[in-house]
Amino acid sequence: MPADRAEIVVIGGGVSGLSSAYFLAKAGKDVVVVEKGMVGGEASGRNGGMISERTDEPDLIPLAVESVRLWATLEDELGYPIEFIHQGRIQVAVSEEEMGDLFTERDEARRHGISVEQLDPSEISELIPGISGRTLGGLFFANGGHANPQRTVQAFAWAFQDLGGRLYQNTAVTGINVEDDKVTLVETTGGNIVADMVVAAAGPQTALLAEMVGVHVPVAPARVEILATAPLDPLFDIALVGNGLYGRQASRGNLLFGGGAHEWIDVGLTSEPAKPNTPLIRNISRRLAELLPAVTDVPVIRSWAGIVEQAPDYMPIIDIPDTPSNYIVVTASAHGFGIAPATGKVVSDLILHGKSNIDISGLTLSRFSDIAEDWRQQRGWLPVFGNH
Amino acid sequence: MEARPLVVVGAGVSGTAAAIEAAKAGVPVTLIDENPVPTSMAGLNVPLFFGQRFDNALSDRALMMERVAVANEALGEAEEAGVDIQLGTCVWGAFRNSENSRLLDGPQIGLANHERSWMMKYDRLIVATGSRDLSIGFAGCDLSGAIGANGAYSLMTRYQNLSSQRMVVLGNGNLGLNTVKVALDNGIDVTAIVDVSTSARGDDALVKTLQAQGVKLYTSHTVKEAVGSNGDIESVVLVEVDDNNGSVAGTEKIIPVDTVCLAIGLVPNIEILSLLDCDLIFKSELGGYVPIHDDWMRTSVNGVFVAGDAAGFHDAMVLYPEIARNQGRIAGIVAAESLGAIKSAEAQSRISNIKARTVTTSQTEVHTIWRKWLHALANASDQDIIACQCEKVTRSEIIGLEPPHYLEWASEQMSRRNLQTQLKDNPVNPNQVKRLTRAGTGTCQGRNCREQVALLLAEEANADIADVPLSTYRPPLRPLPLNVIWPDDESEDVRNEWPKWFSPNNKVLG
Repeated sequence: MPADRAEIVVIGGGVSGLSSAYFLAKAGKDVVVVEKGMVGGEASGRNGGMISERTDEPDLIPLAVESVRLWATLEDELGYPIEFIHQGRIQVAVSEEEMGDLFTERDEARRHGISVEQLDPSEISELIPGISGRTLGGLFFANGGHANPQRTVQAFAWAFQDLGGRLYQNTAVTGINVEDDKVTLVETTGGNIVADMVVAAAGPQTALLAEMVGVHVPVAPARVEILATAPLDPLFDIALVGNGLYGRQASRGNLLFGGGAHEWIDVGLTSEPAKPNTPLIRNISRRLAELLPAVTDVPVIRSWAGIVEQAPDYMPIIDIPDTPSNYIVVTASAHGFGIAPATGKVVSDLILHGKSNIDISGLTLSRFSDIAEDWRQQRGWLPVFGNH
Repeated sequence: MEARPLVVVGAGVSGTAAAIEAAKAGVPVTLIDENPVPTSMAGLNVPLFFGQRFDNALSDRALMMERVAVANEALGEAEEAGVDIQLGTCVWGAFRNSENSRLLDGPQIGLANHERSWMMKYDRLIVATGSRDLSIGFAGCDLSGAIGANGAYSLMTRYQNLSSQRMVVLGNGNLGLNTVKVALDNGIDVTAIVDVSTSARGDDALVKTLQAQGVKLYTSHTVKEAVGSNGDIESVVLVEVDDNNGSVAGTEKIIPVDTVCLAIGLVPNIEILSLLDCDLIFKSELGGYVPIHDDWMRTSVNGVFVAGDAAGFHDAMVLYPEIARNQGRIAGIVAAESLGAIKSAEAQSRISNIKARTVTTSQTEVHTIWRKWLHALANASDQDIIACQCEKVTRSEIIGLEPPHYLEWASEQMSRRNLQTQLKDNPVNPNQVKRLTRAGTGTCQGRNCREQVALLLAEEANADIADVPLSTYRPPLRPLPLNVIWPDDESEDVRNEWPKWFSPNNKVLG
């Protein structure tokens, strides 16, 4: 079989990879996306759909602010529904300690010139009818909201195809060939692809891919859980964070909320990791009922889990290593969905112009250049052994 | 957390037999059954397709508890054998340690009644969860009075609460014939039994008995529509089917009925087995995806056994309940043997005995007739038939891969996308279709539409139905209110140690 070829091969049909592929294809590049399963099959299609300017993570603010700007017109740009609701994000405190955290975050936001409004309990009740009387206060970020992750990933994939992009699903990468410090070829279960440039945006598998080209990307995979209730009449359209949970009311009316303990796991390169739920969904249910006591009798109808990867500082990595010099690492430390539009822009800028106007100086790979080989073990970020 | 050596889920024929065998061997057994179910759940057609054909008496929990208890004579024997019987208790979750779930405190199931939920550990688990109704939509199938055979049977025999006077039954296999027989015994006027097949599929003698009682047998017929007012079925229109599953114009017959009972087929209830990641295999002759099990009813997962319809249903099992009973007995003996309560040689000989006395029946693939029904019902109607009742998704919306109504979305790009274009990118996948169209995402979580969607996808993809993957099951397996599924005994530890997103923490709470 003669080798396929493309200017750019994007590994990973998640939201970061497809956003990158979309903007590259839009700029006229010849792009192939290789995805081991179906688009958005993993965390990109399973997350809470939260979008904000990330005042909780100052290094992310430039990327997040640009993303919110792009989200606002994304549905029209792509031509497919994504259920983006631009009604802001509210964060509520139910303890004095959390109130303290809110003040810190409020000040941080203002320092970065981000719109934030402090709310008292009665103002919160107006925005979120039926919210807990235990709420002491909150912050409202007007610029933010939520979208449907599955529709968004599919929209990027379809729009990418509409631009002539080639999407190979059910195709896993099995090898990457490097010659003279450059990637020359990507080996897949569907054949080889000669490439001028590779974007590795493979979520938890990004670390395994990087090993193939001699680069150490320190990320650890973890499993996290979300639940869904039966549909309710419209209650609120703001993204809601509080009582240890994050979530939203979907366009259909279902409450979708996640949070709580995670579990460190390992993943393989070509297989789909199992994503079992645990009895944790009971505890999430309790916290949701506490947060929204007016709806405690709504049935929970489903739950699911997703696998996210975390770098040691819980922040994304978007960077080109010294060698190979035509290989971009994109991994998001569970922030990927909200910042995906700007991530795609940045990746496309880096490839087209060698730089981006969006400040990603806090997201370099080199910030981990001194990290120990056994960093996961040192931090207790390895799967536990010995239980049953 | 409670811990039991052996938990049997489902107090039907097979589960009760399993519990009795194991208890007689000296194993402490807990037998769990979700009946009586809360009215709110029954109203959602969970766990069976009840079609709103029950009255207020269903909410008299004490009365229903009594009726459910006496409906199964073997339960008395189980009680005498010392089985701990927990009725009105559903299993909504099943968890076990696996590569990606290591922190869990051992294998356990999630239980709930109408008020609260709790967890229970088990050493051995026998899944005898029975089967549910195959639902294939027709015009008017979302009216009250469209009901499933198992739903009707359960209301008649367990609850003594099927509010129906006149019924038409669809499906003339033994399932349909037996439904008619039980309905007649319950004083319901069964006018007709209808099937797209050219002759009766079930037992000849039973057909003759029913015909003698005045039930008209319509072969090569289908439903054109169920007609009603105020959301209730008042009549059904039948029409003759030609060789190509088309309708023969002018052959319509209007029959006044309040109930149209779907008795075309049954589907094994494999949800718990799927959650536990037991190996499954598609066997049309057993009703679809079934657990792989050996002669001793052991699944691929250590300590988990299966019995009865959940292991696979074929039509002869309606006439011979001993098939399910014997599977249950074997599972009970094997579970007891694995716990050391029975010696291996003795188990072996008792099982051989049971097997030697079990009737041999033939099994035939069912999807040809299911597909014929699918086509005939669609062709007979001039409406776009609803496939997913919870989310009101029609067949053409599934085939068109259309975004749900509430998004009010239309674009030139979207109009160029449909199931056919999607199939060029990916093998047929009900999970993907579900995400995009919402079919199967409602409160019943696809209990009422997943087979129909799978049949439609197979048709569109020109694929073998066996190649359509199983649409994923997730907990909770029953729609449980937040204030039921929540832990009422949550510890202070859990409350205090609840992590803020990815703050250092490495334990599962519970």
